[in-house]
Amino acid sequence: MAVIETEGLSKLYGAHRGIEDVTVAVEAGEVFAFLGPNGAGKTTTIRTLLDLLHPSAGSARIFGLDSHRDSVAIRARLGNLPGDFGYGKRTSGREAIALLARLRGVASLGRAEELARRFRADLDRPLGELSRGNRQKVGLITALFHSPELLILDEPTSGLDPLMQEEFLALVREERERGCAVFLSSHELDEVERICDRVGIVRDGRLVAVERVADLLAKTVERRKVEVEFADPVELERVRAMPGVVAAEYAQPTLEGVFLTYYRGEREGEERGEG
Amino acid sequence: MSALVLAQLHERRRSLLSWGLPIGLWSAFVVAIYPSVEDALGKAVASYPEALKQAFGIAELTSVEQYLNAEMLSLIVPLAVGYLAVRSVASGLSGAAESGRLDVLLSAPISRRRLVASGFSATAIELAAVLLASLLITMLGSLFAGAGLSFTRTLAGFANVWPLALLFAALGIVVTSRSLHTAAVTGSVAGILVAMYVADLVGRLDPSLDWVRYGSVFRYYGRAIEDGIDPFSFLGVTVVAIAVAGLGAVLFDRRDLAS
Repeated sequence: MAVIETEGLSKLYGAHRGIEDVTVAVEAGEVFAFLGPNGAGKTTTIRTLLDLLHPSAGSARIFGLDSHRDSVAIRARLGNLPGDFGYGKRTSGREAIALLARLRGVASLGRAEELARRFRADLDRPLGELSRGNRQKVGLITALFHSPELLILDEPTSGLDPLMQEEFLALVREERERGCAVFLSSHELDEVERICDRVGIVRDGRLVAVERVADLLAKTVERRKVEVEFADPVELERVRAMPGVVAAEYAQPTLEGVFLTYYRGEREGEERGEG
Repeated sequence: MSALVLAQLHERRRSLLSWGLPIGLWSAFVVAIYPSVEDALGKAVASYPEALKQAFGIAELTSVEQYLNAEMLSLIVPLAVGYLAVRSVASGLSGAAESGRLDVLLSAPISRRRLVASGFSATAIELAAVLLASLLITMLGSLFAGAGLSFTRTLAGFANVWPLALLFAALGIVVTSRSLHTAAVTGSVAGILVAMYVADLVGRLDPSLDWVRYGSVFRYYGRAIEDGIDPFSFLGVTVVAIAVAGLGAVLFDRRDLAS
């Protein structure tokens, strides 16, 4: 049984279109990304799944339950990160998580503490004093701390620095291995390509393609660009002479690459107790 | 008490200082100066037009309770606490929608109706706490000035404000089902609060317009500090407030919560 299953799901705002005839299914242990530009209908789809918006037509079932009628039972089993996470300026992350834990009947905040260490999140400062990225870390913890069966994440890496984006991607892989289904919207095509099993491309409120990432790339890209890091200098001519190679050239290192190399080294040093 | 109610009470704990203390200090001041203005007041009130005295419930000012009613409990306290009630429910729902807190709370397994009920319950407790703090400070003022204010009669006077304010909290929930903008909710219900007060005043000033008072909750407010609480009005307004809040919860459940 699919974890998420929509059938002709539509949401209209008066005369304005939100989403139209969205039919999609997401399986357990699958990472599914909803791709599209701003205003395409990604957040509308997510809010309709969460029963924050009521569909104009069609239906959505989560865990086999009706997304409107059974929304309380559904929300007990999922974790959600809203598009622009906020809670209240004076409340600390720890207070917000403690309340959510009580509402969810979660006795221990051990997992939340573990996630806070992993994301280097400050749970004790009022949320109003945190930067967008640090608030986002708290938001991710509120979505994940109760080990849900389904994660619905709207632009999850928005505001996160590259290091934390990497940490997030690692966490999503772990959640997938645990059997958790992940439904996310993102603008970061690179991260989608790295962690998602399937993508749905939404344009003007309509789902125009749902494909496995690998199939989608194979269909649309005849040539593959591969970056290879060699320990020692190599002769480009020898690489070009290899079977199937069309072109080979040296690439300048990117700032992101240098940044991640530097921080990975620093973190490994910390873990060894050198920091 | 539910976790949601406790969390909201924790967030609103400053109300005691920002509302209970000023109302209490003002009332205490009114009570404290009564012994020194008592004689002059009697002469002044005697010269007031009869309609004016009737409109403001100051037929005579021969006791400190009557003076406290005329100065505070007939106008300032119900309007101020009524406004606090609207502000509280508005910040708990539309304010939560604006800050993003509503999305986070509704990620948890709680229904919208439970969320509304907890906000209304927290407001009811907050109003009672603010009125109690005001009452206690007023009584301290009387004690220090030797004004001889009756505790039981003053308790009735302050307690009588509670159902009235609760009704405006309930109206705030109904308006929230139409708008999630805190300023719009607070402004429109505060407008209804003032309109109801004016309607009641007009009806009392002109007996031919007495019918307009039926549209105002102030008709059922009375002068509890002098006459005691009218249980029928107290319970009636409380039941209507709960019913209106229930209607608001149903309407809120049906509305879209756009980002």
